[in-house]
Amino acid sequence: MSRLPAQPGERIDRESTLTFSFDGRPVAALEGDTIGSALHAAGRRTISRSFKYHRRRGLFCCTGHCPNCLVAVDGAPGVRACVEPVVEGMRVEHLNARPSLEFDVMRATDLFGGPFTPPGFYYKTFIRPRRLWPLYEKFLRHAAGLGVLPRSQDEREWRTEYRRRHADVLVVGGGVAGLAAAAAAAQLGADVVLVDDGPEPGGRLLAEGGAEQARALAQTARTAGVEILVQASALGYYDGLVPVWQGDTLHQVRARRHVFAAGTIEQPLVFSGNDLPGVMLAEGARRLAALYAVRPGERAVLVTTSDRGLEAAAALQAAGVQIVAVADLRSDPRAAAEPLVNAGAELLSGHTIVEAVGRRAVTAAVLAPLEAGGAKRRFSCDVVLVSGGSAPASSLPLQSGARAAYSEQDGHFALGELPEGVHAAGELAGVQGSGAVELSGTLEGTRAAHSLGFGGAQAEQLAADLARRLDGATAERSPVAVPPAVSDAGHGKCFACLCEDVTSKDIGLTVAEGYDSIELSKRYSTVTMGPCQGRMCQLASVRLVGRETGQRPEQVGLTTARPPWTSVPMGALAGRPFEPAKRSAIHSRHRALGANIMWAGDWRRAYHYGDPLQEALSVHRAAGVIDVSTLGKLLLRGPQAGEFLDMMYPNRFSNLAPGRVRYGVMTSDAGRITDDGTICRLDEQSFYVTTTSSGAGAVEQWFSWWLADWRMDVHLTDLTQALCAVNLAGPRAREILSSVTDLDCDPEQFKYLDGRRALVAGVPCLILRIGFVGELGYEIHCPSAHGEHLWDALLEAGGGVGIRPFGLEPQRVLRLQKMHIIVGQDTDSESNPYAAAMPWIVKLDRDENFIGRWALEHQTDREPETRLVGFEMANGAVPTEGSVVLAGGATPAGQVTSARYSPQLEKVIGLAWVPADLATDGAEIVISDAGAKLAARVVTQPFYDPEGAVLRS
Amino acid sequence: MSFEFLAVDAASPSAGQAPVAHSPMEAQARDAGARFELRDGWNVAVDYGDAAGERAAIETAGAWTDVSQLGKIELQAPASELARVIASAGGGESGGEFGLARRVGGAWWCPLTPQRALAICPASATPALRARLEDAASAAEGFVSVIEVTTLYAALTLSGPAVREIFARFCALDLRSVSTPVHGLRPGSVARTPGLVLRETEDRFLVLFGWALGEYMWTVVADAGERLGARPAGADALAPLDGAAQEADAGA
Repeated sequence: MSRLPAQPGERIDRESTLTFSFDGRPVAALEGDTIGSALHAAGRRTISRSFKYHRRRGLFCCTGHCPNCLVAVDGAPGVRACVEPVVEGMRVEHLNARPSLEFDVMRATDLFGGPFTPPGFYYKTFIRPRRLWPLYEKFLRHAAGLGVLPRSQDEREWRTEYRRRHADVLVVGGGVAGLAAAAAAAQLGADVVLVDDGPEPGGRLLAEGGAEQARALAQTARTAGVEILVQASALGYYDGLVPVWQGDTLHQVRARRHVFAAGTIEQPLVFSGNDLPGVMLAEGARRLAALYAVRPGERAVLVTTSDRGLEAAAALQAAGVQIVAVADLRSDPRAAAEPLVNAGAELLSGHTIVEAVGRRAVTAAVLAPLEAGGAKRRFSCDVVLVSGGSAPASSLPLQSGARAAYSEQDGHFALGELPEGVHAAGELAGVQGSGAVELSGTLEGTRAAHSLGFGGAQAEQLAADLARRLDGATAERSPVAVPPAVSDAGHGKCFACLCEDVTSKDIGLTVAEGYDSIELSKRYSTVTMGPCQGRMCQLASVRLVGRETGQRPEQVGLTTARPPWTSVPMGALAGRPFEPAKRSAIHSRHRALGANIMWAGDWRRAYHYGDPLQEALSVHRAAGVIDVSTLGKLLLRGPQAGEFLDMMYPNRFSNLAPGRVRYGVMTSDAGRITDDGTICRLDEQSFYVTTTSSGAGAVEQWFSWWLADWRMDVHLTDLTQALCAVNLAGPRAREILSSVTDLDCDPEQFKYLDGRRALVAGVPCLILRIGFVGELGYEIHCPSAHGEHLWDALLEAGGGVGIRPFGLEPQRVLRLQKMHIIVGQDTDSESNPYAAAMPWIVKLDRDENFIGRWALEHQTDREPETRLVGFEMANGAVPTEGSVVLAGGATPAGQVTSARYSPQLEKVIGLAWVPADLATDGAEIVISDAGAKLAARVVTQPFYDPEGAVLRS
Repeated sequence: MSFEFLAVDAASPSAGQAPVAHSPMEAQARDAGARFELRDGWNVAVDYGDAAGERAAIETAGAWTDVSQLGKIELQAPASELARVIASAGGGESGGEFGLARRVGGAWWCPLTPQRALAICPASATPALRARLEDAASAAEGFVSVIEVTTLYAALTLSGPAVREIFARFCALDLRSVSTPVHGLRPGSVARTPGLVLRETEDRFLVLFGWALGEYMWTVVADAGERLGARPAGADALAPLDGAAQEADAGA
């Protein structure tokens, strides 16, 4: 164990122990430990293997930024051990090593494959023979990746919550600046949400002896009403929407102002062996010691470009880690180094590290002067602390439209101009010094709230005062050395990108091959495209591209910041699906009858009740009843309602008598069929329009659009869901209906295409005498709340004469016998009424204009290439819908749109588009279906009741 | 021809059977243990066997109540006439402000567009209100349409301190008091379907949605609510609205 004595502000509870397993072996931990801290405390330095070369990787950043400690927890890969809290009994496994973490056969890639595995090697090396690519691909996919998903679907499923949160101000980052900003905005009255990816807010303060101050700031913010989300990562910025992933919840935060205070990220250096276990970011090691009381190592060498590293090393030394040497890339020894020197560390100014030595972990560090030719020094150590400067965590503000500019003084790209409504505070905004950072946060929180109208003039004055104080409080910036792009010892790999195992040589190669811009280099080498999303490698890759191209960093520029900024499970993005399913008011009856339920558009419908053919026959022989509540139902009312319909349909409706029904086919501007249905005139100013089930929404929008455009005095109400509808059909339908209504159903009183209002079984109904299925039929519409009662009453009334419910499938058979089309199935976007055998629907002899008139007038002059006809199969086979109609026995010239076996006709019938010259009764056509050629004969009149006598009976 | 085929209350006993109106969520309520009573022609889930627990849930956590039986009447009229028709029908004199409903005469008056409004009332009051509106419409200048849409919209009341959190699980509408004050009216997507949310009191929201989506919406609300400690509550657990609304108004 390498636990340190109690540290101020440590997060662990030494009295509470936990146990988890790592690769099947038990590991002891303390309450509050992360997986990484517990493993490190247990002496384990190698936690995982790298992506490409399968090199050993151990704790590196201890902040959840880098990819070095990715493990699988309880089967879920991609978990960062350094920030994942230990839970009793959790099962932790390494990634990317077979057969074991200690002996990984794919390590051969590192030992022997380096020269053969440059960027894009899989395109170069495995290009020939091309036929073997599937095999190569399988191997490469197997070898690559960051873990394996569980094969069992049960293990892959977990519940994701979505939570929508509106706020006035969203603060991203829970450090000093973020907390101060949140508190300031909330104190002015704003509704504020603060998100932080740590287990508690406080940021760097927590590991730098400021835990009490951090907790006090957090309490101030909470008291002011700030909602603080911890262990919550802001994933990106989508036009103001910031998704925040927290545990199993994806918060969709929509705020009017955003304050980004995510601080800066300590940067690594590029040198030989810079990925060895034992090489750590200085602040990462400090966090390990301060928060978890885990000793990073016994003997440490520090390499730093700024005071940041010196301060971290001093803290480690105070905690009991021996600092044996300090390589400061700056030429000026700084006061911050004095405690280290006084404690025995050797200070090497103007030096850097060129190699971390070791096989399984660091055993020594080789330091050398920055000036060429200087003598190298080797220091024995078990940990190398690296502090290569800092880079602002600016991805989210950049995604929001902020600009960044290279700062020579700081050696990184600093945030510049911010878009309206976006604020940056603290170190992210370039402010240094604890006091100034807090002031900066307070200022930006105040500004954000004030811009929304909170605080009034007082807030404006406060902001001005804060700005003045901030100017005065800004500390003198400590100098920062800009490190060389790479410090190469001449052997060993120097990693620019730890996620993707991209070396400095790889970057050189991408530039040499022509990918000499930072964006192209990124895509070719995949640098910055791994789990760290550039946190650890963006700056390094810019320097390397600059070195190769001779450009300065500001000329190289940054790659475009894109979400997600943080690794996120696919399940979080997919979320828990909402599947709005519409169900008719009679749905429970269909279930009770054992119906086969299927999707029909956004409705759940009864497809059949077990025997579709018998259901169809019962409609012919006695009666059937089908739920047609899914039909679109629109009510049009107003003085111009008839005129409006005349303009919407190719046929007329203004001359329709009240109480009568007429069929209508709707066409587009281009004269193509878009929907069909029936229109019943209820009174002089009211029309009841039915549409297809799938077209209801589109027709309602189409009507609304034209009503708004034409400004007609017509009121439109979509009653689709308000009314339940059933179709009672069959030779006994009249008898059944008469038994449950006082309405005179005599055919002379209630004729075909009449519409009547009456009580049916005590329920107020609108009854349309129409017949989609070809038998005497009544379409009965009633309030949805009475749907079940109506359905039950009809079935009960018809029980003695053999009524049975029928579903969608028998309905399709029945309507096919009548050649009644289904728009969208028998027609497509090119079908017009003439070609679809409905020329009678187009009334060009009237004066009014209507939608599609111009196109339809032109189509009268042209013979369509294909026409919709019926057909009978010669051999009884049922062709697949969509199968091809061949012209001359070989050339595709049409297609089958519908085909069924008709038990009433005892033959296979269908509808098909055929060449116009074959659209005559008796013409022979050939249908190609899955390789078989099937003979059929064209029929142009309805197969059943062609005269319509049954319908009118 | 009249529009009685839209009116649930136009049903009458026939052949010894009295049609009973059913909510689209009745099966789900029954599965949840609802006890039903016939009220104003509707089969209403009055409680779930624990009236005290249901009231407690409303006060301390959250609850959802099927109130699909509420009468809903849509008015369409020229903008200049709409307020006059509403006033003539007892809906109050002041013009409606978009985004805010008014509670007058035991009904909610919800302006949807300058030419369209929705009145929501108890089932028992629906015939009388419809008659008053039709009378007012017939006396109006210009064409006014009065259409009962009771069964166009199913309805749930969500109430309790956790109600906004429950909404947040399936709805992106901004229901904070600053955006949706008491009596605030928000048309928008609710669980990915068109909905209308009305804030009746501080912790009580009425949600209207498509009748055919009743089962779906119950499932969504129950799924979100149960994880946050909410439960279904019967109609009897809901406090009388006018008293509660007035208290909220007084508090505001």
